[in-house]
Amino acid sequence: MREKIPLALLIILGLIGLTDRFMPHPGPEALNQYLRDTLLRIISAFALILGLGNLIVRHFNRIKRKEEHWPHSYVLLGSFVLASIIGLFGGVSGELWFPTSIGGFQFDITTIYNKILIPLGASMFSLLAFYMASAAYRSFRARNWLAALLLISAFIVMLGQVPLGAYISPVIPEISQWIMEVPNTAAKRGIELGIILGMLATLLKILTGIERSWLGSGR
Amino acid sequence: MNWERLRNVDRRIIFLAMGLGILIPLLFPVELPVGAQRITTRLFETVDAIDGQKQCLMISSDYTPQTEAENHPMTIALLRHGFTRRIPVLLNALYVEGAPLLADAIDQVMGEFNARATSREDSVIYGRDVVYLGWQPPPIVPILAMGESIAGIYVEDYYGNRTDSLEVMQHIHTYDEVGIVVAITGLAAPLWYVQLAQTKYGVAVGAACTAVCAPDFYPYCATGQISGMMAGMKGAAEYEEMVDEQFALGGRRKATEGMVAQSAAHLVIMAFVILGNISYFASRRKKT
Repeated sequence: MREKIPLALLIILGLIGLTDRFMPHPGPEALNQYLRDTLLRIISAFALILGLGNLIVRHFNRIKRKEEHWPHSYVLLGSFVLASIIGLFGGVSGELWFPTSIGGFQFDITTIYNKILIPLGASMFSLLAFYMASAAYRSFRARNWLAALLLISAFIVMLGQVPLGAYISPVIPEISQWIMEVPNTAAKRGIELGIILGMLATLLKILTGIERSWLGSGR
Repeated sequence: MNWERLRNVDRRIIFLAMGLGILIPLLFPVELPVGAQRITTRLFETVDAIDGQKQCLMISSDYTPQTEAENHPMTIALLRHGFTRRIPVLLNALYVEGAPLLADAIDQVMGEFNARATSREDSVIYGRDVVYLGWQPPPIVPILAMGESIAGIYVEDYYGNRTDSLEVMQHIHTYDEVGIVVAITGLAAPLWYVQLAQTKYGVAVGAACTAVCAPDFYPYCATGQISGMMAGMKGAAEYEEMVDEQFALGGRRKATEGMVAQSAAHLVIMAFVILGNISYFASRRKKT
């Protein structure tokens, strides 16, 4: 039963999802619309609760077992509790009953978002440039002719993606665009087709019950 | 020369060079001509061709603060373009984390236009010229449901107004009244629109993405499924310049301002790669 009910649900719901695409009939369309607009949203809400629950349990365990960098988990849990209290009881801009300012110091959700989340997020992403420079210096070597070809292409695209390339020669952006539009497109298309064929095969295997590893049965 | 030492240069030196390479052009800016790629021009022309009396421009974002530097100027440039051409603009956020960024962009561009406006006709009015639909999870739901009814899935807008009570929504009901959906993304939103909304409802899709995502969308640009694309900060700068050249709006063009710093950053990376290869070949020759 533990396998049969989820499998039956999957097959029925999967087939309903498919019929909407291939049978433009009001019946399946209405059913699909209900499943999408109502059921899917309820499941998403549960997924959110599940995700948050997992996050909290995982970090409690890290602290309990004193795993590597465990003090960071205190920061995460503390921020989580604080932001939740401010958001739930203080409102988005401090319009609810929970106080979100002390004198001129504001800490409502909008301020936290603008003054903490945006700079932190941008800083995290901008660090990539530094690590990329360091990684490229250490590993981007023309060890053979294929690697040399990759290196030359990378240089052309890097120059073509900034105004400096056109400043050096108007040909560089043209070659850069050609690389992106022809070899890159061909390679990407091949990869995409492979992925989609693989997805289709997996979908059919799951829908017909051949593939059941997602049920935890190991088959 | 000690090639081994050069090969194992302290990464803090690389970080410092990179930091200076970015910082100096930002402190002492110089202008470089930006040019225009074909895909950016195609996006500009598609948006420009929208008949504002019948259709609107939809800006759909899934970007978060992490990619704000690249994606936010794209939103600003598209809003400027739409407002100048008097094309109604509808915006929605596919992820909650980025939702306030769109509100910020609307405030900024509305402020720019209304500061210059001399009459009600010239002004950009919320509800008449622009509507921010807000955020509805998960992304698949609004993407598909907007083909049936935009006001049906976004019952209230971001600010809590009933969507169907807004002036512009009286003639915009489904994707039929959307000239193009430009998905601004650090992930894969343009593909979701192509796979879900375009195949079913035939809506035109444009992409405005971070440079790292751009290679994924080129096959779709080649087939015409994606009508045009702003690829990375360079794409945003190109679009900003096209809008400015056509309509002489003025105002800050942050992507264009960032182009010199990005050029310098690319140069620093290339210089280090060249240096790394010289030291590699020199030390290899020494060994043999």
